[in-house]
Amino acid sequence: MSLALRERSGGRGEAPTRPAGPGRRPGRSTARLAPYLFILPALALFAGFRLYPIGWSFVLSLYHTEGMTQSWTGLGNYQRLIHDPLFWKALGNTALILVVQVPVMLCLALGLSVALNSALLRWKPLFRLGFFLPVVTGLVTYGLMMGALLNQDSGAVNWLLGLVGLPEVHWLTDPFWAKVSVMLALTWHYTGYNAVIYLARLQGIPDEHYEAAAVDGAGAWRRFWHITLPGLRPAMLLTVVLSTIGTLQLFDEPFIMTGGGPDNATTTIGVYLYQTGFRYFDFGYASAIGYALVLIISVLGLIQVKLAKEED
Amino acid sequence: MSGRVVGEPSRRTFLRGLSAAALAAGGAGALAACSGSSGSGAVTGGTGEPSGSITVWSWKNPAAELKALIPAFNAVHPKVQVNVQDIGNPAIWDKITIAMEAGGQGLADLLHIGVDYLPSYIEKFPNGLADLSQLGANQYADAFAPGLWQTVSRGSKVYALPWEANAAGFFFRADLFKQAGVDPNTLATWDDVIAAGKKVKAATGVGLFAVDKSASQADSANLLQLLMQLQGVFYFNLDGKITLNSPEAVRALTLVKEMNDAGLLVDVQGSPGTTGYDTAVKSGKVAVCPDPAWYGGYLETLTPDTKGDWQLILPPAVTQGGSRSAIVNSTHLAVSGTSKNQRAAFAFAEFALTRPDSQVSIFKAKGIFPALLKAYDDPVFHQADPFFGGQKYAEVFVEELSKPSAPTNYTSDYARALKAVDDAQTKVLLQGADPATVLRAAATQLAQQTRRSQA
Repeated sequence: MSLALRERSGGRGEAPTRPAGPGRRPGRSTARLAPYLFILPALALFAGFRLYPIGWSFVLSLYHTEGMTQSWTGLGNYQRLIHDPLFWKALGNTALILVVQVPVMLCLALGLSVALNSALLRWKPLFRLGFFLPVVTGLVTYGLMMGALLNQDSGAVNWLLGLVGLPEVHWLTDPFWAKVSVMLALTWHYTGYNAVIYLARLQGIPDEHYEAAAVDGAGAWRRFWHITLPGLRPAMLLTVVLSTIGTLQLFDEPFIMTGGGPDNATTTIGVYLYQTGFRYFDFGYASAIGYALVLIISVLGLIQVKLAKEED
Repeated sequence: MSGRVVGEPSRRTFLRGLSAAALAAGGAGALAACSGSSGSGAVTGGTGEPSGSITVWSWKNPAAELKALIPAFNAVHPKVQVNVQDIGNPAIWDKITIAMEAGGQGLADLLHIGVDYLPSYIEKFPNGLADLSQLGANQYADAFAPGLWQTVSRGSKVYALPWEANAAGFFFRADLFKQAGVDPNTLATWDDVIAAGKKVKAATGVGLFAVDKSASQADSANLLQLLMQLQGVFYFNLDGKITLNSPEAVRALTLVKEMNDAGLLVDVQGSPGTTGYDTAVKSGKVAVCPDPAWYGGYLETLTPDTKGDWQLILPPAVTQGGSRSAIVNSTHLAVSGTSKNQRAAFAFAEFALTRPDSQVSIFKAKGIFPALLKAYDDPVFHQADPFFGGQKYAEVFVEELSKPSAPTNYTSDYARALKAVDDAQTKVLLQGADPATVLRAAATQLAQQTRRSQA
């Protein structure tokens, strides 16, 4: 033990200059063990706080829970899911955000990244920082901020609308506008993040391609269609998959801004799962909702990756 | 070099300790699930004179008042040390729930519990609360406002002693009604209320009630709940069956819709005691607060400059000659089922809740309205109050609490029922949906969620 310790402690400082010598042999088994020991803490934490809940929640999803009492129900919770109008409503809301907000946000991010990459733009770092800054804002903080801005009576947005003579909008208390509000908040928060991913990729597209195209007489639009977009494809796949997963797990924004209301207009699967588990203490059913979500995310993810591959 | 050699093992020990801690934390849930509760029916705390120390969980004003009672309690029971903790409301509900999930680990001996949570604890945690009938609680069955004993007992078992009884009031702005030429004392039914509301609105431009139409928080259906309770109906009947689809419920929501269609409801975000609602009351946007007893004392501090403008009547009946009294909310003290000293805990609850002197001093200090009938003999409940134009306002509630009112069964699924009701009300108020249709859907959904049948 002490040999191995000295070996390792010595090795740390002098390894680059000292070749492996005979002194290494006695500690070989310990040395072989060392990497495992090093990953053990992380592994133990992962097992305790990730694997255990993942496995246990599946077991839980097969039980009907009520406080301390649990009774075996097999697939009962999953059957209940199929006949639960609120689950379908939550799924529908989530799907709507996915279909409407994600494409809008990604198009904005695309435009933004091209603009931020443009040689014509000055003060680039300032603009890049400005658009990326929302990403580092805490979820709760910006949820509260959006809630305050969109407040019906005292919010700045309605005040501005009033200045230009527009009627006041019930941003958070009308089923339609509440959805719009959540989508606005999401777009504000994540557009910069996606733009930065595109920007990184854009900078990897060689200038020669553009120059060659220009020589061939291609205009700005054709260069965009035939060079920029194909070049961005891997980044686009990444952002589509990430945004899809993120949207399906959406919780913080609706929870803080609208509480899922009014009349479940902004209840996402995440919000419904939280209510079921932590407000009604129906952990068995909440676990089943969680596993349904896992299934949906897996299927959608596989389809997206497959489609992208086929196009290649 | 030697420093490093020494350093290494300590770092390794640290890591080992860390992973052990992680494993322990991961297993904690399983351990807690195994430990369970004792489930024995025997009373803890020995025999003879109660002794030892007990912990009490409550919140803000009631906690302060329980603390104030300790010296007087110790004069009778000198061997008991009482430690009252202000957990805060609503934090206390999560704290009790988590401790009960953990089989009573870390739970206080005496718990202050609201009517909306009591049935949940009784039904979801079968041994979470002690059976007080074994400690002699049954002698107090008739000591409290009618209806409350059914709330705290199940069959022969008694799970808590009633403390607060909040009867429904109808606090109105006498100045606005006078301006409109309506005498609120002539309002017999809610149809009269709607007719009067239209006159008040026409004459003063002020709405009748403040309602959180989009149900921005759970506590948004108070008016609807009151209208149901006045008809002797709640979200569940005494057998725990769902009554959201009853004719009474439809009648109640139809009344709310009529008021909304007539422009008598002011949309706010929040319920009584929160900013949105209170601001509407304070800025004179509503003429009536159909709120529980505690809101009377609260009004005096909320809008001191409207002194003399307010008065109180009992809420009008929904149907001609129907009931005008409803206990819309109550709180209780319960002894933990896993407490090591149930006798001492019960002795303190008994001292605080069944002795008129204790309850009178609490009412005088914080306006917490007692359920104990004997306390009402004190003159403090029969004094004229200048804020209410010299009306003896507490007397109105005393009269209301002395009458029989239908007991309410909140059940363990109240939170779910409330959500279904909130959503139904929002559909009606924001989208003009048909009350009967949305309530039928709500009842079906609730039945599906809770495995309860419909009445």
